[in-house]
Amino acid sequence: MSLLAQSIINGLITGSIYALVAAGYSLIYSTNNFMHFAHGISVVAAGYMVYWLFTVTGTPFYLTCILTIFFSAFFGLAMYRLIYLPLQKRGASNVILLIASIGILIFFQNVIQIIFGSGVKLVGYIEVVSGVTFAGITMTPLQIVILVVSFIIFILLYQFMQKTKLGRNMRAVSNNRELASIVGINHIRVSDYSFLIGSALAGVAGILVALEQNLSPFMGTNLMIKGFTGAVIGGINNVPGSIVGSFVLGMAENLGILVLPSGYKDAIAFSLLFLFLLFKPTGILGKKEGRFDK
Amino acid sequence: MISAYLSAYHTHVLILIFIYIILVVSLNLALGYTGLLNLGHVAFFGIGAYTSALLALEGLTYLAAMIAAGLFASVFGYLLVIATDRLKGDYLAMATLGFSFVVYSLLLNLGEITRGAMGIPGIPKPSILGITFLTNDEYLVFVFLICLISVFIMYRIVNSPFGKLLEATRDNAVCLRVLGKNTLSLKYKAMMISAFFAGISGSLYAHYITFIDPTSFYISELILVLTIVIVGGLASIKGSIVATTVIIYLPELLRLLEMPSSVMGPARQAIYALILIAILMIRPRGLFGKVDLE
Repeated sequence: MSLLAQSIINGLITGSIYALVAAGYSLIYSTNNFMHFAHGISVVAAGYMVYWLFTVTGTPFYLTCILTIFFSAFFGLAMYRLIYLPLQKRGASNVILLIASIGILIFFQNVIQIIFGSGVKLVGYIEVVSGVTFAGITMTPLQIVILVVSFIIFILLYQFMQKTKLGRNMRAVSNNRELASIVGINHIRVSDYSFLIGSALAGVAGILVALEQNLSPFMGTNLMIKGFTGAVIGGINNVPGSIVGSFVLGMAENLGILVLPSGYKDAIAFSLLFLFLLFKPTGILGKKEGRFDK
Repeated sequence: MISAYLSAYHTHVLILIFIYIILVVSLNLALGYTGLLNLGHVAFFGIGAYTSALLALEGLTYLAAMIAAGLFASVFGYLLVIATDRLKGDYLAMATLGFSFVVYSLLLNLGEITRGAMGIPGIPKPSILGITFLTNDEYLVFVFLICLISVFIMYRIVNSPFGKLLEATRDNAVCLRVLGKNTLSLKYKAMMISAFFAGISGSLYAHYITFIDPTSFYISELILVLTIVIVGGLASIKGSIVATTVIIYLPELLRLLEMPSSVMGPARQAIYALILIAILMIRPRGLFGKVDLE
């Protein structure tokens, strides 16, 4: 029983990191309608930024976090302005944008490897402490921080999407880009903001990943697949859906290894991704008129 | 001494070029001629490499192992078309990419068969009709012959009436169905032929390097193959051959800069990714391309 409860808690913690990745990814997808696969590298770049600022140069931790989130946000905006927007202006199809984004991911992954080397890096802000045990469930203080921070961010993000003018404009562009331009919404400006906010979320995910795990240049692909899978499960053009989907994925992985060998953790994600793409591409909460038929 | 080193080194690069020509032309057959978006082509390459290596280690003669590699890969090509036939656009792209992730994680996790991350060492050099291709010079001749035969077959296929039907499937499938052609069966055939030759090139690769592990068939390899196909141009065999030669040779110029080997690998990958992004932005049709990537 406590093993099951522990797995559920682990699933929540893994899920909340996936959900941060997926929320930014799906925010960008819903307003731009193309797959920004290089979102994964924003997370990794943010993680390495934390390592460089905090561990190497000794910047105070909270300043490091603020700088990292800004860096990540503008890193995302730069990708949009310098690569995706020029491609879109040339009339490139979504598949071309997807291929370009895989190229960006691989490019920066290797640049990070050249700068920092391929070995893993440890940030070491919070020294390893024994976990808090409550009702047979063990959690480290950091894991509690991860859960709390991500839940606060999801609530803020939801409020932002529902209540602010910019959030409503984003949903309008996501719903019908043509109609949104007719009523005077500048979709390039909305896209700018979606990249800024989505990549800032990637920055938060990067900070949490840097604190919780060892950093490696190659983790971007895997994080992106997980975030993407979470987004597909929940509904890729629906931000709350992608958050729910990521928690489902985190749960499925952690409950799955109760019955399967632990090596199959990634295979569970890949299989779920493949199954959802084949049988329910709009996801659990996705809109019916997804881009499936286009 | 130097000239001996250079020639041995050039033999190695030439062997790789011939192996990649088969792989790239086979992808172009599906992606360029038939318009089947497939981001999972490296999975066929990997399936071919593993099939051939494992069968040869079990004592099967090389020719049989190579053919089996092609056939087994084409079975997966058939399955991929069944699974993804209903998908279009980015969903198809992601599903085929997901397929390569699934194959990667199977190679990694089916440890009893594939030895997982440890890879398969000691793959025997091919031996046909009592002749064993032990040295690289001999292997070069062998690979050149197989490459010539494979490309000739694919050249004849795309220039046959059947090849014209494949191009018609790409350009206007509805129209072709009105004329009473079975486009689904055309897709199966194209994907199976494409996968067959990818499997053959995987077999040549495995028996040349004599060691394979799952990372040789993952996303960075995919970027390389996609880059070459797009640089050469869709639906152009000539383009694929020229682009393979140029792109496999190009990063070898890095050797002149005398970088440490830990930088060489990532620098090469970064250059491939950069070429891919640049070609998409500057000249998306590539060198000799006839059609746009949809």
